[in-house]
Amino acid sequence: MGAVDDLVVNYHSQRAAEARFGVQLRGFMAASLPWTALLGALLGVGLLVLGVSIGWVLVGLAGIPLMLHAYYRHHLITLPPSTNSLTDMIAGDVLGRLPRKPSPADIAKVVGEVPSGQFMAVRFGLTSGLLLSMASVDAGTAAAVWQQADNIREKCKLDQISGAVLAVAIVRSFPDYQAVLAQIHIDDEDLDRGILWQQQLMTLLEKYSKPRRTGGIARDWSFGYIPLLTRFGQNISEQISRGTGVLTVDVASHLEAVMQLVETFGSGGRQNVALIGKEGVGKTTIIHAFAARLLDADEILPDSLRFRQVFLLDAAALIAAAPGRGELEGLVTRVLGEAHRAKNIIICLDNAQLFFEEGVGSVDLANVLQPILDAGSLRIILSMDEQRFLQISQRNPGLVNVLNRVNVAPASETETKTVMQEQLILMEVQRHVTYMYQAIKEAYRLGERYVHDLEMPGRALKLLESAASYSESGLVTMNSVQQAIEKTLDVKVSVASSTEDREKLLNMEELIHQRMVNQTRAVSVVSDALRRARAGVRNENRPIGTFLFLGPTGVGKTELSKALADVYFGGEERIIRIDLNEFVRAEDVSRLIRDGAQDPTSLTAQVMKQPFSVVLLDEIEKAAPEVLATLLQLLDEGILRDEKNREVSFRDAIVIATSNAGADRIREYIERGMEVAKFEDAFIDELISSNQFRPEFLNRFDEIVVFRPFTKPELVQVCDLILASVNKTLAVQKVSVEVEPAAKQLLVEQGYDPRLGARPMRRVVQKAVENTVAKQMLSGSVASGDTITITEAQVAQVFGIEAGHMGGDSPVTPPPGV
Amino acid sequence: MFIVGLLSWWYGAGWARQARAVRDRLAGLYDYFSIDLLLKTLFSPFRQISAGSVRGSIDVQVRAWLDQLISRVIGMIVRSIVMVIGCVTLFFAAIVGIVSLCVWPLVPLTPVLGIVFALSGWVPWTI
Repeated sequence: MGAVDDLVVNYHSQRAAEARFGVQLRGFMAASLPWTALLGALLGVGLLVLGVSIGWVLVGLAGIPLMLHAYYRHHLITLPPSTNSLTDMIAGDVLGRLPRKPSPADIAKVVGEVPSGQFMAVRFGLTSGLLLSMASVDAGTAAAVWQQADNIREKCKLDQISGAVLAVAIVRSFPDYQAVLAQIHIDDEDLDRGILWQQQLMTLLEKYSKPRRTGGIARDWSFGYIPLLTRFGQNISEQISRGTGVLTVDVASHLEAVMQLVETFGSGGRQNVALIGKEGVGKTTIIHAFAARLLDADEILPDSLRFRQVFLLDAAALIAAAPGRGELEGLVTRVLGEAHRAKNIIICLDNAQLFFEEGVGSVDLANVLQPILDAGSLRIILSMDEQRFLQISQRNPGLVNVLNRVNVAPASETETKTVMQEQLILMEVQRHVTYMYQAIKEAYRLGERYVHDLEMPGRALKLLESAASYSESGLVTMNSVQQAIEKTLDVKVSVASSTEDREKLLNMEELIHQRMVNQTRAVSVVSDALRRARAGVRNENRPIGTFLFLGPTGVGKTELSKALADVYFGGEERIIRIDLNEFVRAEDVSRLIRDGAQDPTSLTAQVMKQPFSVVLLDEIEKAAPEVLATLLQLLDEGILRDEKNREVSFRDAIVIATSNAGADRIREYIERGMEVAKFEDAFIDELISSNQFRPEFLNRFDEIVVFRPFTKPELVQVCDLILASVNKTLAVQKVSVEVEPAAKQLLVEQGYDPRLGARPMRRVVQKAVENTVAKQMLSGSVASGDTITITEAQVAQVFGIEAGHMGGDSPVTPPPGV
Repeated sequence: MFIVGLLSWWYGAGWARQARAVRDRLAGLYDYFSIDLLLKTLFSPFRQISAGSVRGSIDVQVRAWLDQLISRVIGMIVRSIVMVIGCVTLFFAAIVGIVSLCVWPLVPLTPVLGIVFALSGWVPWTI
């Protein structure tokens, strides 16, 4: 139908009157009509039987409710559109509720009362209240809403202007509607999708309410008995006949595979098909769709396929029934023989690898199956994961030659959303929840990013299913999906909203400095990166941050990574540390990306298990160029493919690479009295020109931070931090230790080594403080609640020096830039 | 206007819809009894008992042939019975459908007819 001719609702038109009558009749009144007719007719007949002629009146009058019932059920409810006038295009349930001269606000109110409008309210958050707040009360502006509605109707190729169309029209008639949509996390395109979704569900309901023609009572009488198959298989066709089969959705990739199945089994070649595709692409759903097509009498199919039954063989049941050696082969031969003799069976081996390899719950039946597949007379469908298919074909190349391979590609984004929109209806019934569209969108986005063991649409569906447990008052929202992924994978995907989270982010520098000294620039860049990530303003297609920390040993490079893991990611165990000095050969690349089943310590395996973490690539300058080249994609796109070609996301990790390269040069610059900020660029150029790093590698990092060596005053702070950790350990025994300032100064003098940074400090404290405390505690001179004071003399005695000689030295003046 | 709408639907789209409903009901019944399939497979073995070629001695082959013959006879009897039941059911369903289509245009007249019959004082039966 074309565009409407006018933009005014004709309140007095025949259609409008019918629509109003339909609205008045709905509910109890409509339901009571057939009963009224029956009661009237029965009473009338009763009176006639008793010889009272007035009974004719009752019988005659019973015709009126009967007519009204038929009129309501078959006409008023649907009220089909007729001409191109606006009144004839508006859906009956909306038209019947509209006042004489409706304003946009009146339309909004009506939209909230009809099912299609309520659909938009529940699924998208376009509630009646929101629509009312966006709609004008001036009836003169209604024409703009009608025009918008008609444009949407034409764009979506619909027959009617439904409540869903009007909800979107009201939104789009609002001047600043994009901002409103942003608040409820949807965009313009989603609104059109919502209208089509509502239409799609109506079509689906209509499809399933029609009686199915599936062959009738004598369909299988000419075919054989199948007692064994019934015992060890699952009759998909029967499930479909009963209406309990899997709900299949017509998506392009599936339709193509079903067509190929029909073509292969309808032709005279080998009667087998191997459905090959990654787990989650919908291989089982394709088998159900194929079985449903064979059962549909209205489908155009070769006679040799019509009403054939698809049986799913249950590997576990077969193995359980024939535990002895050789028994299973005999049983499978009998089952397949029965299927062959019955002449109307298509056997399906779902997860067919279970029949071709030895293992728990699987058994190698290649010797039995291959001759049958080779002969090609028994119809068999095998479904298998691509990788498993390759493994099996490597062991048994003959098998590949006898199979007709049909590849099943993962669904596209649009297809996946369509599948989710239809499948969630079943989930809603099973889980007693209602899914919002925002949840579908989020499930796709997060599924793509975090679920690696399945392909689309399976991965998004899995996430959507698990989100049901996090519903809010029975409504599965975007937040439910985020919570599901946060709880199952232990990552943070939502924007920081709790006060505690925000406080932590705003005071990140302070929190980090509670456990490390200075290096303010480094602390600041990583804190900024985290704030960007949790405020939702970062590039989501990269890691949270990628940093290269350069500097001599013992200056806090690793300590900062640990502090970050502890403060933000929730514990030091949140650090994935790879020592790249163990990856010095080209072939070490394979160790980096090894499958988790074989090597749980590989980089990809660890990140797959714990994506929300600090990835610390230590001593990066020692890695082989091939290893660095592998890491380029990780730094650039936040993706690394493991050896099974699965994408492993680093997009929720902070990647920190550390290097000691040029440490001597940094010391030289500092000793010459230069500030880090002044020599940083020149220093990086030197690293490139001396071939220690390639420019394209360094360019991949968000920030390159040069750490400078500690000064003596900073070492005093380091000493304080170490002493604090000693006190933490002693707290269990209710004892504390205190070091006099002069003693502390002496400790710093002993622990200061420009080449080793703060590293010797810990050893010095251990030797001078921890040993002294231990001796005092063992001698019994310390009681619970006591504070042990370490004096300068005690420290001097430990190091065999004269007290007062060294401790009195003035601390080294800190270099500029501190 | 409402009455006009109701009557124009009743004698137009409503009647056509009723005709389609009768047709669909008959098609459903036809599909359920699958009479064409029963006819096509009238002499096929019933549920494939002893179907297929049998190898062995003459004795075995004769027994298999006899088994098949019995299976075919049973099949023919069962199919014939179902066909008869199906045809009768379809016939009655068609009659009911045709009657409903004939009565359909008279339904709006029933109140008037009822009053006329009541005034005439005629009753079809009395006890």
